[in-house]
Amino acid sequence: MEVEDLGHHISRRFNEDLERVRNSVLSMGGLIEEQLDRAVKALSDGDSQLGLQVAEDDVKVNRMEVSIDEECSRILATRAPTAGDLRLVIAIIKTITDLERIGDEAEKIGVLAARLASVERPSTNYRELRNLARHVKQMVHGALDAFARLDTKGALEVVKADNAVDEEYESIYRQGITFMMEDQRTITRMLDVTWVARALERIGDHAKNICEYVIFMVHGKDVRHIGIKNIEVEVEQGARRLESRT
Amino acid sequence: MTLPSRWASQLAALAALLAAALIFGWWFGGPGWWLAGAALLYVGFTLRHLYWLDRALDGHRRVPLFETRGLWAEVFARVEKLRTKARNRKKKYHRLLREVRESTGALADGGIILNADHEIMWFNPAAARLLGLSLSTDIGHRIDNLLRHPDFAAYLKAPSGDGLTVASPRHETGWLHVQIIPYGTDQRLAIIRDVTNEKNVERTRRDFVANASHELRSPLTVISGYLEALGEAGDVPDAWRTPVAEMQRQADRMTRILRDLIELTRLESAEASADRDFVDVIGMLKPLVQEFQGRVGPSVELALETDAALLGKESELHSIFYNVVNNAVRFTPPGGSVKVVWRAIDGKAVFDVVDTGIGIAEEQIPRVTERFYRVDPGRSRASGGTGLGLAIVKHALQRHEGELVIASQEGKGSTFSCRFPRDRVVFRSDAVSAVL
Repeated sequence: MEVEDLGHHISRRFNEDLERVRNSVLSMGGLIEEQLDRAVKALSDGDSQLGLQVAEDDVKVNRMEVSIDEECSRILATRAPTAGDLRLVIAIIKTITDLERIGDEAEKIGVLAARLASVERPSTNYRELRNLARHVKQMVHGALDAFARLDTKGALEVVKADNAVDEEYESIYRQGITFMMEDQRTITRMLDVTWVARALERIGDHAKNICEYVIFMVHGKDVRHIGIKNIEVEVEQGARRLESRT
Repeated sequence: MTLPSRWASQLAALAALLAAALIFGWWFGGPGWWLAGAALLYVGFTLRHLYWLDRALDGHRRVPLFETRGLWAEVFARVEKLRTKARNRKKKYHRLLREVRESTGALADGGIILNADHEIMWFNPAAARLLGLSLSTDIGHRIDNLLRHPDFAAYLKAPSGDGLTVASPRHETGWLHVQIIPYGTDQRLAIIRDVTNEKNVERTRRDFVANASHELRSPLTVISGYLEALGEAGDVPDAWRTPVAEMQRQADRMTRILRDLIELTRLESAEASADRDFVDVIGMLKPLVQEFQGRVGPSVELALETDAALLGKESELHSIFYNVVNNAVRFTPPGGSVKVVWRAIDGKAVFDVVDTGIGIAEEQIPRVTERFYRVDPGRSRASGGTGLGLAIVKHALQRHEGELVIASQEGKGSTFSCRFPRDRVVFRSDAVSAVL
């Protein structure tokens, strides 16, 4: 499905509805990106106030999810979309759930950042966490870009990046265990650090899910749980199909 | 109307042909056939030229012509002239367009053309580089779907004068300045500039001022302490009494300047919008004005015309009110008056301070909120100001989305108005009814 496909309905209102709900998903994505940004900033700057602010602002995300969800139900009920439009609506319903979860994880990071701000900071100032956060932020950004451009190649890149993020999480986890065994006074802090890393890793997974919905939306293929190789094949076949049609 | 010569000759040729046909017909018999033959000949001749004219209009270059003068020759010459002209014009526009493209491509600032629905119509390479856009995929997409920062989305809906500075979507530490300029019918041009360096310089400057002020404060506390002890000691030689008192005054002033500097840098680096705590303005203004009434100087009076309270940060609001009143008192000679008014105009709250002081020259009004700007250097230093009061007022007001309006007449006095927006104002009567 191409973007222009959105413009082929006889009912202009239907087009507008679809376009509007798609735009609100992306502005919800913008809010999520900002929340994540601020949560990570609160962690690296040791800014407890900012961390708590992030946690508080999660209600905005939740409110957006509810309103987009309602809009989607309304479209399903009144327009009974088919084919590409149906896939779009389904993908949106799934995407906002994942976005909302990302928001929850950002909220968690905010609270943890506020707590970590009050304890002694390691000399590296959580370099590994900041690194992991940077990769995860790129993944979320890439996933939303892919959603906006209906770009399955971009989506594929993000899906691939998830492995690196998982590995980084593993190494932070192991490092945490070593620290805790060496010096028991660090246990509380390292547990919190591990929770932050865990939250970031989960955000990466959600970003990956969103990309899978993008591929589903464009090519109509469900690519969940089939392995990266198969996803690549599906994306390539889908792209070729689209080309031959135009 | 006279007949152009090309038509005259064409008609003459036709007449001659028909006359010849008539003569031959009369000579050999059957003039009807001869006439018809001649007419057919003429139609064939015209059709042939029409055919070539059609080809010429299709872009065919070489047209075999039988004549160099006359109607058809001139028609073809004029067609050719029109075509050359059009070709040249096209070339010129092509060149012009290429130059425009090249020059906008060479610009360091990004430019994006948007339509009424915020869809991207065109952008230059700098915009692609700064925002990570791609010409092959992003034309026709809504820009707020690709630049999703909530601040940007809000700015796009309601562009205001100065533009917006947002974090770069591509580089973690980068900053971009975006300005949207409407033009034509419903089209808009977004200008994007990389302001990372400016931001960094600004931050370095701010950090420097903050650190320097902090570092200077501790030695100054020690000096002030000893000076105070010296001033109170009984065994100081009389000749040193005045210098010690002066030193004490100057040390106090330095402390005040440092305090204001620290306050100012704090205001500058804080988040854009102040907290929204309930602040009882009337309860704050009464003791504040009383403090000034107790001093030597102009008479100070308070007029409370509204019961409005504000949603804001208490310490900053106090700072605003204190500095504006202090400023007025300092520039009003004894015998003059300072009137402090708290009033409401259609939902907005206004804090006016009207004095009968020395006033400010018109060209200096925009500059009085600059740091350390002094209208009359000798005078303001003598009056004990730090030179930062109004700068603090301006920044603190900005954090409350308010504005400072200054009206003044030299020699007659000034009016400083602090205006607070509607959504920061709470009226006592509303508050009561809300509770009930």
